Amino acid sequence: MATVTFWLIILLTVFSALIVVGSSQLIYSAVALLFTFVGVASLYIFLWADFIGVVQIVIYVGGILILVIFGIMLTNKITSVRISHTSVQRGAGAAAVVVLFILLVTMILKTPWLEIAAVEPDQTVASIGKMLMIDYLLPFEITSVLLLGALIGAAMLARRGR
Amino acid sequence: MTNLFSLNYFGPELILTGTILLAIIVDLFYQEERSYRVGLWVLAGIILSAVTLLINQQSVPVALFLGSVVSDPFSTYFKFLILLATIFTIVVSFSEKELGNQRVGEYYVLITIMVLGMFLMVSATDLIVVYLAIEIVSIMSFVLAGYLRGNRRSSEASLKYVIYGAFSSGIMLFGLSIIFGLTGSTNIFDIRAALAGLDTSADLALILATLFIFTGFGYKISAVPFHYWTPDVYEGAPTSITAYLSVAPKAAGLALIIRFFNSSLGAPGTFIETEWIFSSAIPWTQVMAVLAVATMTLGNLIALRQTSVKRMLAYSSIAHAGYMMMGLPVLSEHGIYGIMIYAFLYLFMNLGAFYILMLVRNNTGKETFEAFSGLGHSSPLLAIIMTLFMFSLTGIPPTAGFIGKFYIFSAVIKAGPGFYWLAIIGVINSVVSLYYYMQIVKAMFFKDDNESGITIKFSMISILTVILAVPTFIFGVYWVPVADWVRNSLVIFIR
Repeated sequence: MATVTFWLIILLTVFSALIVVGSSQLIYSAVALLFTFVGVASLYIFLWADFIGVVQIVIYVGGILILVIFGIMLTNKITSVRISHTSVQRGAGAAAVVVLFILLVTMILKTPWLEIAAVEPDQTVASIGKMLMIDYLLPFEITSVLLLGALIGAAMLARRGR
Repeated sequence: MTNLFSLNYFGPELILTGTILLAIIVDLFYQEERSYRVGLWVLAGIILSAVTLLINQQSVPVALFLGSVVSDPFSTYFKFLILLATIFTIVVSFSEKELGNQRVGEYYVLITIMVLGMFLMVSATDLIVVYLAIEIVSIMSFVLAGYLRGNRRSSEASLKYVIYGAFSSGIMLFGLSIIFGLTGSTNIFDIRAALAGLDTSADLALILATLFIFTGFGYKISAVPFHYWTPDVYEGAPTSITAYLSVAPKAAGLALIIRFFNSSLGAPGTFIETEWIFSSAIPWTQVMAVLAVATMTLGNLIALRQTSVKRMLAYSSIAHAGYMMMGLPVLSEHGIYGIMIYAFLYLFMNLGAFYILMLVRNNTGKETFEAFSGLGHSSPLLAIIMTLFMFSLTGIPPTAGFIGKFYIFSAVIKAGPGFYWLAIIGVINSVVSLYYYMQIVKAMFFKDDNESGITIKFSMISILTVILAVPTFIFGVYWVPVADWVRNSLVIFIR
């Protein structure tokens, strides 16, 4: 049962991701992105990372995606713009993609990955909190500097020029 | 060391963080035309940070924040280098005309955040910190490259930088996740211990992971084939930022490459010297040698064809990244030593060359080779200084550039006859680079047009170029202090 669920999630994620990059209508891409995000959130939940899964839905689906859709809808005439998918050097590109795909699949199948037993943890939030405040305190703090810088930078770039 | 006690060793970074917050608040109180004064606050913070770094120097390496970062002479050396480049950049930005007519408070804030990011880059020993540090530096660079709003080239530079940056950090993240999947740890020393217990079936994953991770690192030092963003970004960005990007993040990137690969793949308890655990799985020597050759050759060959001096200097900075990368394949202390000396000396000559370009551009509005014509007659001192920088970038004695190249080449030759070809290609490249560097000298002294000799108005930048010219010459004649300093700094945290 678990395996079937897993593959269904994978199918949903990959299929919708293909629509995101392949669709010629921006709004279709945005809606397909919704399913990609939900698929990724399901993967997190499938891996017992329920907190991360919920955060994924709240931030990506509830925040970022809504902003993207608003951005599309509030932009004049953008819904009628057809995105062109021109690509150059298709042959070389296809060859590179095939080689990389074979390499990655071989790697995934052959490598002795570190496996940990899939047992349901008692709780996840408390251990995440402890890790953020003890083991990963520095990364947690410098993330705030990164976000501060990104905020200032975004505001700077978006400010009305004279 | 626990989080609380780590703060004792984290003074310079804390001061930088305080400076960032203070500068943001101070910026609110300045009118637009006085917003440059934020730069003075930031400058004070940077100098205070440098003084703290000097006082708190550790000769014994320590791991901080439960192994997230380390403080060792190796990182301290690069931190000084970064702070020095930052001080020059802030001072030169006061006179940068391109930045005029807009608020510049955020500009200095973003530079300070970038410094913090580079500090973390040179001291990170945890995959998450590595990633975050690279992201901090990259995102701040994106904004700074696009700081000239209304200037199409600057916006183009920013956008291209974002796309390449996002793509390569995505690939790097994939590589880091492969490493995590193999070892279950984010600490590079734990990773090394876990990797030592793996058999050859993990080789493919390890090779791919190394390759992917190097994509992210190589993008930061603009190594071929991850260099495509460099010329456009360098050309579009404000010149003060271009000069900064070509020096500071490059040094930080090299430090990160050395620490990361040495600590995660090297033999336990050693700083290079002996063979690496996975030298059989990863053809490190060959790959790095080929990349170094490709980087310097491509940079030099394309630089030959440029008409814009700024673009020429962009390609030349790719070539110099290639020279520095020659120290990587030899897997020896000498190689790292050469890279460290080169990065330091390169700072003066490259910043100097860019600042003279900035002076010429501020006075003529052009960045082509023709803009330099007649400079030898109108401002002989500047022309002589520029010639000095050009000689130094080529590597002609008695300039600092020669000493840098000397140490790199001698490290390569010491590594044995198998590396002679690498040194020979390096020398050939230096000779090729002479051609385009000398084009500027030719334009300055030998162009026969008396009427179009430009006049350079005296400004702060003129003083800075003189200040940069002094070490470029002195260290070419008497470099013992630098060599000693680097030798003492060649202590890296090992566990």
